[in-house]
Amino acid sequence: MTPILELANVSKRFGGIQAVKDASFSVGQGEILGLIGPNGAGKTTAFNMIAGFFKPDTGTIRLEGKDIAGKKPWEICEAGIGRTFQLSKPFGDLTVVENLMVGGFARNRDRRVNREKAEEMSAFLGMAAKRNIEANNLTAFDRRKLELGRALCTEPKLLLMDEVVAGATPSEAGEMVELVLKVRARGISILIVEHVMKVIMSLSDRVVVLDYGEMIASGPPKEVVSQPAVLKAYFGERYVQSRA
Amino acid sequence: MDFFILSFAVTNGLLLGGIYGGVALGLSLIFGVLRVVNFAHGSFLMLSLYISFWLWSIFGLDPYLSALINIPAMFMLGFAVQALIISPLIKRESALVVEPLSALLLTAGIFLVLDNAALMAFGPDVRAVQTSYYMPSLMLGGIPVNSQRLIGAVAAVIVAAALSWWLRTSHLGRSIRATAQNRDAAAMSGINVPFVYAVTFGIGCGILGLFGALMSTFIPISPSIGLSFGIKSFIVVVLGGLGSIPGCIIGGIVIGVFEAVASQFVTATSAAIGSLALFVLILIFRPAGIMGRA
Amino acid sequence: MNTKTIPLERKDVEKTTSLPLRPSSLVAVVVLGVLALVPALVSDSFFIHSLIMILFFAYMSTAWNFVCGYVGQLSLGHTMFSGAGGYCSVLLFTQLGVSPWIGMIFGGFLAAFLSVLIGLPTFRLKGPYFTLTMIACAEILRIWVENTNDFYGIPLKGAEGLVVPSMGDDVWAFQFTSKIPYFYIILIMLAVAIFATRLMERSKLGYCLKAIRGDRDAAEALGINPTRYTTLAFAISAFMTALGGSFYAQFFRYINPERNMGLELSIDMAVMSIIGGQGTVLGPLLGAAILVPIAEAARGTLGGSFLGLHLVIYGLALIACVLYFPKGVIHPLGRFFSRLFGLKETRG
Repeated sequence: MTPILELANVSKRFGGIQAVKDASFSVGQGEILGLIGPNGAGKTTAFNMIAGFFKPDTGTIRLEGKDIAGKKPWEICEAGIGRTFQLSKPFGDLTVVENLMVGGFARNRDRRVNREKAEEMSAFLGMAAKRNIEANNLTAFDRRKLELGRALCTEPKLLLMDEVVAGATPSEAGEMVELVLKVRARGISILIVEHVMKVIMSLSDRVVVLDYGEMIASGPPKEVVSQPAVLKAYFGERYVQSRA
Repeated sequence: MDFFILSFAVTNGLLLGGIYGGVALGLSLIFGVLRVVNFAHGSFLMLSLYISFWLWSIFGLDPYLSALINIPAMFMLGFAVQALIISPLIKRESALVVEPLSALLLTAGIFLVLDNAALMAFGPDVRAVQTSYYMPSLMLGGIPVNSQRLIGAVAAVIVAAALSWWLRTSHLGRSIRATAQNRDAAAMSGINVPFVYAVTFGIGCGILGLFGALMSTFIPISPSIGLSFGIKSFIVVVLGGLGSIPGCIIGGIVIGVFEAVASQFVTATSAAIGSLALFVLILIFRPAGIMGRA
Repeated sequence: MNTKTIPLERKDVEKTTSLPLRPSSLVAVVVLGVLALVPALVSDSFFIHSLIMILFFAYMSTAWNFVCGYVGQLSLGHTMFSGAGGYCSVLLFTQLGVSPWIGMIFGGFLAAFLSVLIGLPTFRLKGPYFTLTMIACAEILRIWVENTNDFYGIPLKGAEGLVVPSMGDDVWAFQFTSKIPYFYIILIMLAVAIFATRLMERSKLGYCLKAIRGDRDAAEALGINPTRYTTLAFAISAFMTALGGSFYAQFFRYINPERNMGLELSIDMAVMSIIGGQGTVLGPLLGAAILVPIAEAARGTLGGSFLGLHLVIYGLALIACVLYFPKGVIHPLGRFFSRLFGLKETRG
């Protein structure tokens, strides 16, 4: 089966800094791929290039075989990629349902259909009771879920998630992991950038490790984290120390 | 084009431009620290022109001496406006910076009140200060230089230099710069942010007090004069880079010379349109200004 | 997916109450309906004139709100559209004998074209930068017209302005000796503008604009091309504003750069929307209903002795609103009436 997303030799430079160098990896159909690496490894840059916020200097990014490198964010969305942001960006003065409806309008002009879809989505997120609350009045975690739901309303084939559990309590993180698995069960492939190793280990089918813009390892999470190159990249971080 | 006329125009533009820069200093300072675009900037200038005018008209006080009253009066007014009107808005906003539009609206409200209150109080008549003494034009290399304008331009440069120096070296100046960098971090380091904001706003208006006094000697004064100077100040500040003090003077000089020289070739109207068009183009293509970091 | 098992405790308010319309639509219909009856009950010419002014400003403010309120940008240059529209229809009438009814449509398209030209590069500017750019653009147009007597044979007559020659009662010439036809024209224009806003608010365009207002990056990630939707809304808003400019020129049979292109009218439009409640359908109407009577009273009863008084009051109202009702008076008012009639709070 062809991968849903395929990056080939993608590079990006900001002034003197090589943020991403010759990155090549792919996300399979229905796969959850974790993109990890120490701070400043180029994860977010790679993420933003896929999402259309930056244009790669070289290389191709293919969604189901079609090159999408350098396309605008709204074209990326139309092509079938949804995303969440590291710092969630809800439309504060719209209600939960209205927020979700904005996502729906990407595929459908009919307000009524979108409203129904949004109501369903709020239930899927476990936020049915909060669906008429303004996003401003939601907790940080609810905003994160709302953002996930909003992206899902655009009916993506691939979902990009930036730091899904940042700032969440352990029980919230558990809820988010479950939600992500439920999203995958809908047949959506997922690419996750995440700092919290526990989440990556429990969610990902496969991980890709970036360091200084270069891909240093890839494979099933359990194997990858024991590779010397990865341990070296992470050396000093508490997670590695505790295992050593 | 006659070389003499051109050099006269350039000189005149330099002087006028320096004054534009001086007038814009307060706008730039307030934006740099509070992130508030003060729509009422021109109105404060108008007010300070009237202060000098009335001091001269009622008490016969020399306009240059009136600066001694004008500056503290304008400082206090600015301090009060910030402390009483803008500060509640800043307190309400939880984010690092005030939502720029709310602050703009607030100062637009102040603009409406000040300009029209002046219209009600003073009437639409144009007034002018006539000093009892005559200030002859200086001759510089055969070019006549209007001494009132020269004083204004020199004052602008001195004020800009003094302000930069003071911001760099004094304790309060450092507090102001720290607050401009990061309001929350400054607050956590024990800086009284509302006070710093009020002082900054006061200084911005106090500078206008000085220029109101200096300009009252050669500018016809009317209630609606503020807006045109306000718009000109925006142009100057955007040109020089919002928040940059040397940029302000340079931006002023660029606009002053541009208008003076352009009006030698085209009508003054076209020159005015030209400088507005320049402003729009700079905002679109180089919003950080010609001096600012892109 | 097991979504059906979660109970939805209440559907939209429109479904729980027995009202045939949503409350805001109901208010609009009632207000406009009552207004339509006024000329039959009151014949005082000053009163009708004042009502026309309220409706005119409500209309202009609604046109302004169509883009600025929903996308969260503060344009203080909208008079360039009313000015362009007004001059276009007046000149077409005086020079070529084209009926102002047709001329105002031309003016509308001219303004829409102008808005696309200006909006494309400027709409991505943020906050004050956008505001200042719009002021500058409007000022460029005003200064140019003020100082141009003749533009390639078109007599603009500079600061003096254009007078529309009197034709008596002539529907084709958009001229009436009585004020009542003007009253109904502007009432219909306002009703259409309000209806258009209502339609827009519930359509894809409305949701896109509100999303762009909320967060531009997030909106883009949801498939919204901000330039496309803001430009579209801006053009519609400019078109409506231009029609208002033509109406104003016909009503006073006079147009000049200062009144029709100046900053003051732009500020009026913005302030009324903001005080009433920008980004709401009825906010601008409410704002005009609060503010215009103040201006009319200051002008009429005090005989102009307090020049500028009404603008002082506008300024104070604006300051108070930004500080205490940042979303406009309509929100607390709406909440009050909802409680009064025992309705659950609704949005919009």
